Amino acid sequence: MGAEFTFTDIPWGINLILVPLAGGMVCFLWPRMAKALGLSSAFVVVLSVAGLGWRMQGYGVYRHAMGGWGAPLGIELYADGLSLLMLAATALVGLGVSVYSAGYFEPKQSARFWPLWLVLMAALNALFLSADIFNLYVTLELMGLAAVALVALASGRDALSGAMRYLLATLLGSLAYLLGVALLYHGFGSLDIALLAERVAPNPALWAAMGLMTAGLALKTALFPLPFWLPPAHASAPAPVSALLSALVVKASFYILLRLWLEIFGSLGAGVDALLGLLGAAAVIWGSLHALLQTRLKLLVAYSTIAQIGYLFIAFPLAAASGVSAWAAAAYLALSHALAKAAMFLAAGNLLHFGGHDRIADLDRTVQRLPLTMGAFALAGVSSMGLPPSGGFIAKWLLLQAALAQGRWDLAAVMILGGLLAVGYIFKVLGYAFTQATVLRESRAVPAGMEWAALLLATGAILLGFLAVPVLALLGIGDPFGTGEIGP
Amino acid sequence: MEAVNLMLWTFDTLLGLGLLWVAWRTLACADLFKGIVLFVAFGLLMALAWVRLDAPDIALAEAAIGAGVTGALLMAALARLRASETDEGSAGQLGSEGSDAEPSQWLPVVILLVVAAGLGHALLSLPPEAVGLGAEIAAHLDISGVSNPVTAVLLNFRGYDTLLEMVVLFVALLGVWSLGREIEQGASAPGPVLDTLARILAPVLILVAAYLLWVGAHAPGGAFQAGSVLGAAGLLLLLAGWRPRADLTARPLRLALVAGPGTFVAVAVVTLLTGAWLLEFPPKHAGTLILILEATATLSIGVTLAALFLGGRPRHDQELR
Amino acid sequence: MNTAFLYALVGVGLFSLGLYALIVHAHLLRKILAINVMGSGVFLVLVALARRSRDAPPDAVPQAMVITGIVVAVSATALALTLMLKLSGETGRAELPDDRRN
Repeated sequence: MGAEFTFTDIPWGINLILVPLAGGMVCFLWPRMAKALGLSSAFVVVLSVAGLGWRMQGYGVYRHAMGGWGAPLGIELYADGLSLLMLAATALVGLGVSVYSAGYFEPKQSARFWPLWLVLMAALNALFLSADIFNLYVTLELMGLAAVALVALASGRDALSGAMRYLLATLLGSLAYLLGVALLYHGFGSLDIALLAERVAPNPALWAAMGLMTAGLALKTALFPLPFWLPPAHASAPAPVSALLSALVVKASFYILLRLWLEIFGSLGAGVDALLGLLGAAAVIWGSLHALLQTRLKLLVAYSTIAQIGYLFIAFPLAAASGVSAWAAAAYLALSHALAKAAMFLAAGNLLHFGGHDRIADLDRTVQRLPLTMGAFALAGVSSMGLPPSGGFIAKWLLLQAALAQGRWDLAAVMILGGLLAVGYIFKVLGYAFTQATVLRESRAVPAGMEWAALLLATGAILLGFLAVPVLALLGIGDPFGTGEIGP
Repeated sequence: MEAVNLMLWTFDTLLGLGLLWVAWRTLACADLFKGIVLFVAFGLLMALAWVRLDAPDIALAEAAIGAGVTGALLMAALARLRASETDEGSAGQLGSEGSDAEPSQWLPVVILLVVAAGLGHALLSLPPEAVGLGAEIAAHLDISGVSNPVTAVLLNFRGYDTLLEMVVLFVALLGVWSLGREIEQGASAPGPVLDTLARILAPVLILVAAYLLWVGAHAPGGAFQAGSVLGAAGLLLLLAGWRPRADLTARPLRLALVAGPGTFVAVAVVTLLTGAWLLEFPPKHAGTLILILEATATLSIGVTLAALFLGGRPRHDQELR
Repeated sequence: MNTAFLYALVGVGLFSLGLYALIVHAHLLRKILAINVMGSGVFLVLVALARRSRDAPPDAVPQAMVITGIVVAVSATALALTLMLKLSGETGRAELPDDRRN
């Protein structure tokens, strides 16, 4: 490090991992300070991501060699535009959820929530910064266990069985991934992604590793035909936990899959990207149809997550020809969906808190009584439907363009159909929110912080519709997608 | 030498087949208690396999954690499960533990065979010479501060992974504490055999743990092995009915649990503040730093494993104060 | 050389056996046992393949990975067991409600 300590010398990336970790442990030692510590940690994380982004704009890709040992002996941290985008999603959703949780949990649950949430945040940041396939395994497990423990905070048989199913699915996925790591290491002699990218050559071990890791990560991302664990877990968890799971945790395994694909497996290509695209398309239709059929709001939102994840996988076959646009669209969608879905779950949580239930048909004139919350839901819905102006619109527009440019009418049709179905289920909810319920119930007031958290996150998703150019420029730092330019 | 090679090869084949057979029996056994006992036997066979594969550190860890602690956790869970099921007054419930696999399900078998065949083929296609980091490790071992390569990798070269792994243990405990019930102070009195055994063995185990910790720098051993033996001592004491004093179960317990990962984070911050990379140890002090990290890790691992076995929050936990 | 591949194949066998048991059994304790067996299989593959060349310096990285993996496995098992106990306390059976997977 230089003689002068300037602003850029602050190890912003390391902050992202150490601050929440330390915060989580201190919250455990002094539970009464948990809420204050949690909120400040979330705030520091947002600042650190901003600092990291600023540093990366000036100096390019961020690297840090843990222990001073670079690859192949040690572990390296690596952040390019794609990592930065995911880190930003984590920080922003994290802040929103933290503010929300400050008002949501009663003291006993609160003392249990904050350490788990802070460790989850550290795990997410560590995951997005890691460039070592075994380190990714450890962060995946840390993230998974913390997430399961958070789901189980809601007592009741639905939450417990949802958590158990989730735990088994996540453990299975991780073991498949680890076996892939074993094959890659023994086939090519390194755990570092960059080194592996240089050394790989097609052989059965690589194929097996690709199959294992793709299957394991797809299971963790709830890709069709394996999304069975997601709706129960996301719907029965406490609202802020549902937001974290749908917005961030599910994206983490997708991020790893994308990274591995871009660096190591992409050259193999062959039928796998077509298969992923097909499964993604199936997810869009299946998830949207199921969302339309739901009678409970949180389940509807959970099935909507499955559908939106399908869009992410549609980028795989499209990227073969149109390259960068399709990947940029997927990354943009990941970020917008994170904000929008978090807002939706938080809004659903408000409705649950307000009326004591989340049956869609019984949403009693909530538009008048909880305008902020319904506004948040509506704005988040706009992004999910892919209507302008919103981040979701930009992402889906880019995907649609790529599909049409390559003559993939089938994928384009699926995307349009998915959009129409989304309009269906969003408006179903909004429609009931305007009408009066048949049975009136007593309602509880919703704390202002909870309503505003939801609304601000949803507004963020809309704002992304106006920020396409700067965000795409940031995405290009370090050239994560392997070709020259990014742009609509 | 041919005869020795042949003997070893036979041994390996028998051990491999034995592992597969015991695993199958564990999973297919009708009585869950027998299944768990078989699982512990499986763990011990695995330890033998590790020794055959020149991995004594793993053998120690597998015997202590994989067979020992995991076996204890499974037994305790089964006992509680059966206790709650008989409480419901349903005598027929024990049948529900029975092997419920339907042998007529051919699809999983097909999947199984395809997966196994594919993986086996991929495996066998690997070149007969290993490509690994052995040479790299050997080259940098002398500046790592220890002479046991596994300890060097765990605590120095890839210390960041170990930091995260300590947090994984911590998270598991957080989860168990937020799920489990409260444990009452003062459990039932043990019989005289268990009581005497615990009194004699516990100090011995603690000494063994200290030895494993110290020797880990230059021979098989280290923080995880030592921590799990310490945890075993804790398990034994808990089984014998001992419970910590009320004033120790609040802040001091929490401090002990967090000591391992906390020290790691503290050392990491210090290395950053001195302008080095995260967790970069200057070669002069590397040995001492590693010993400090391992010592606190041993304490935390031992206490965490014992707390996980207990399965719930201590009564006088200060969470609500 | 042969030893290494032998144990690695045993590892693959354990992984497959565990996977089968995980899918087919409904009782949660059996599923947890299955996951542990699968994990042991993966660990065997990791370390066995490193012993392909007997005269090279010992490769400690897979061994460190396996020790890490064992600790992760025991943490996950502890959490899973507690979750199972709580679930069976609520529902009376140690199984996932309407277990219809695949």
